[in-house]
Amino acid sequence: MPRGAVGSRSPRRDLLDKVLGRVRFAADLKVPGMLHLVVVRSTEAHARVTGIDVGEAAAVPGVVRVFTAADVPGENRYGIIRPTADQHLLAEGRVRMVGDPVALVAAETPEAAAEGARRVRVAYEPLPAVLDPAEALEAAAVRIHERGNLCFEQRVVRGDVDRALSEAAVVVEGTYETSRIEHAYIEPEAGVAYLEDGVLVVVCCTQNPHYDRRDLCRLLGLPEERVRVIQAPTGGGFGGKLDLSVQPFVALATWHTGRPCRLVYSREESFAASSKRHPFRMRYRTAADREGRLLAVEADLLADTGAYASYGLAVAIRAAVHAAGPYRVPNVRVRSRAVYTNHPFSGAMRGFGAPQVAFGYESQMDRVADALGLDPLEVRRRNALGPGEHTITGQRLGPSVGLRECLERVGRVRARWDGAPGLRGDGPVGVGVGAMYYGIGNTGMSNPSTAHVRFDEDGGFTLFTGAAEIGQGSDRVLTAVCADALGVDPDRVRLVRADTALTADAGATSASRQTYISGGAVLEAGQALGERILRRAEDLLEIPAEDLVIEGDRVRSRSLPSREVPLEEVASSFAKAGGMPREEGRFDPETTPLDRESGQGVPYATYAFAAQVARVRVDPVTGRVRVERIAAAHDVGRGVHPPGVRGQITGGVAMGVGMALMEAFDPGRDRNLDTYLIPTAADMPRVHPMIVEAPEPTGPFGAKGVGEPALIPTAPAVLNALARACGARIWRLPAGLEEVLEALGRGKE
Amino acid sequence: MPSSVPASRDPGPSGEPPAEGLTIRFVLNGRTVEARVEPHRTLLWVLREVFDLVGAKEGCGVGECGACTVLLDGEAVNACLVLAGKVDGREVTTVEGLGGPEALHPLQQWFIRKHAVQCGYCTPGMLLSAAALLRRNPDPTREEIREALAGNLCRCTGYVQIVEAVRAAAREMAGR
Ligand code: FES
Ligand code: FES
Repeated sequence: MPRGAVGSRSPRRDLLDKVLGRVRFAADLKVPGMLHLVVVRSTEAHARVTGIDVGEAAAVPGVVRVFTAADVPGENRYGIIRPTADQHLLAEGRVRMVGDPVALVAAETPEAAAEGARRVRVAYEPLPAVLDPAEALEAAAVRIHERGNLCFEQRVVRGDVDRALSEAAVVVEGTYETSRIEHAYIEPEAGVAYLEDGVLVVVCCTQNPHYDRRDLCRLLGLPEERVRVIQAPTGGGFGGKLDLSVQPFVALATWHTGRPCRLVYSREESFAASSKRHPFRMRYRTAADREGRLLAVEADLLADTGAYASYGLAVAIRAAVHAAGPYRVPNVRVRSRAVYTNHPFSGAMRGFGAPQVAFGYESQMDRVADALGLDPLEVRRRNALGPGEHTITGQRLGPSVGLRECLERVGRVRARWDGAPGLRGDGPVGVGVGAMYYGIGNTGMSNPSTAHVRFDEDGGFTLFTGAAEIGQGSDRVLTAVCADALGVDPDRVRLVRADTALTADAGATSASRQTYISGGAVLEAGQALGERILRRAEDLLEIPAEDLVIEGDRVRSRSLPSREVPLEEVASSFAKAGGMPREEGRFDPETTPLDRESGQGVPYATYAFAAQVARVRVDPVTGRVRVERIAAAHDVGRGVHPPGVRGQITGGVAMGVGMALMEAFDPGRDRNLDTYLIPTAADMPRVHPMIVEAPEPTGPFGAKGVGEPALIPTAPAVLNALARACGARIWRLPAGLEEVLEALGRGKE
Repeated sequence: MPSSVPASRDPGPSGEPPAEGLTIRFVLNGRTVEARVEPHRTLLWVLREVFDLVGAKEGCGVGECGACTVLLDGEAVNACLVLAGKVDGREVTTVEGLGGPEALHPLQQWFIRKHAVQCGYCTPGMLLSAAALLRRNPDPTREEIREALAGNLCRCTGYVQIVEAVRAAAREMAGR
């Protein structure tokens, strides 16, 4: 057998065009005759819109048309999770956050569109704004939506928590808070729309073209065959490009004017219009026996979902399911609520609430260790879930559980750091651990992916997948799985991707699901096509198919290696016989819905596991924290493209460092990257990524996923390291200079 | 030798050449070019709108992200902050002029080999900041690379592979 494409370290195909600057992102597209759009957005956090006067705007030379809610031809309501869909393309009498879209101006030039937007007069009658999630739940609070301010609640209940608490050797209690975080992909949202043979075509950055089409059809009142969404090369997403952004605006304007339209968000608009990471408030009680074995976890989680639901429901559920961490916990009581406020809406940012709860449960694990005088890694080792053991939803895990190995690997690196001289400067040093597990795919619901593979006349193959590539490398992963499913060289596999007219629905590029789920679909399609090729070769070679194998560029006999036929010949035999074969593959991981009351069930078919250790150094004068090193061990099942897995880990670590130390989005202050700071090259630690492979039997070649897991353990590890360096714990993210100085002060007491 | 190409016109907001404009002449990726533009236009706008060189990206428009980085007389600048008039008589290099598909710049080669690119939106700016660094400091330490690239934001990679790629390219360029 030739060496497989799965596991190969060769470079990704897309990188050549990227280093040459030849990739055209949506903002780089110019369609002849296109109109330019500007969205008029709410200046109020909560208000009734009592009037919109577009007269003056429409009179600006170059302005072609000004749209308001009355111009939305279909149902003016959208949202990725249908039961909670509550966003409007353009405001209908009410705005619920600063930045809510109110009107849309289309003009011949960007300048005229901007001038038109300035002249749209919107009359607001302010309503009290609700800015605190706890207050939002009070009976007297103003209702932001008709259904009330509780967007969603999920409980997970198991065993007898009260008894466990009363019998425990140690109970630690703590309240933790995380911040609102901006995705800050470097590409601001952009898209163009045009009409082609009566079909409305939208080319845009996105993480889910098939969802985009569904909601565009609803908004415009069009059948699916009249709308085509093509994913443009996408400059990062991290969950923020799952919600609709520019798509409905360009679609609406093109639909009405018949002209191509383009909308490119400025960074300011991207900040104002896009979803954020949910800020969480978490109250935890953790009980353990004398050996540090967990007896109970109680968690009350309150998430600020902002003005609209977006993925709030999914975040509330996932946070609940992951609230106790990757440990055996016999008694559990979790309540997780996502609550509306008049803040910017919160969405699915990398991890769906799992990074937030990881800060809570991992801080608690360290405190259990401290209370018992145990090594924090040892406490985790004693509680770590293993194959065949049960999660807090009562799910029995399969064989792919690599947590113990992850803990061991980072433990070995930590031992090497001990006593090693500091990298730079003096100041107290601390080492901390963070661990996590993460369910792959959507929670407790069907989330299939469908793929097709076609044999081409030249003896090559074309893989059709709806999976959006957003930089993370799904193109490479799916191509490799396809090549190995067939047994051919990956250079033979062409890719058609994320175009609703040409590819089937693969579901969202989210929840770390494309490798596992779309990979599964591609594997099935590739294998089915391979079998058809062997059956045809059987006729050509007059050797039974069971004795044949596809290898690189030919089909050959296993028993008589000299008997072979080039793939090109098999292809022309198909072509002559009337058509090239194309096979479909579909994969939908087995899950069961969670019980409404107890939260028990099988939310995911498989989980990724990880552990990271961080070493930090604190400047006692300024409070500046330097994360010196991070070792990160991730059980991904199988590293389909090891450099890509490492890239996900290092990128996740960077985002985790930002979450731990820097990032807190202040809607009243942050308009651009001059005040909202994300980690730069100078902020990065040395990172030591390690790939652990506990193969998942239902995954393609054993693979699971890594996108979100990469980020989750970092902030907990850094904060646990900081607690040791400062001698006192920080309860609220991010740990900025003031918080660190304050903790140093407490530590001295 | 740089050859002179016909003057490009700034189409202006109405599609007509701007009434109030200035004519700038500069060397763009080795060729002398000319453009008539309104004085408030930035170099980034000129590159993208007049010359359709879209390798330089706008990520923030205020000099914070580095996605628009190009070389001006060999120094890395944020093209979103440079007014068009300032480039008159000077030399501009964009990613399109760094190396071609057949003759990749060592930085481009090593960005590919080290997997220093994910979404690629920051990549052109990152490459040019790195090129400027290697021009003034052919043998930078890891720390110097990190400092030199601190003005170029990347949200995907964590910068680890980028720093490795710059070190590898420096070694290759120095024949080490
Ligand atoms: S666009 Fe110029 S620095 Fe961001
Ligand atoms: S590769 Fe995506 S921002 Fe750098």
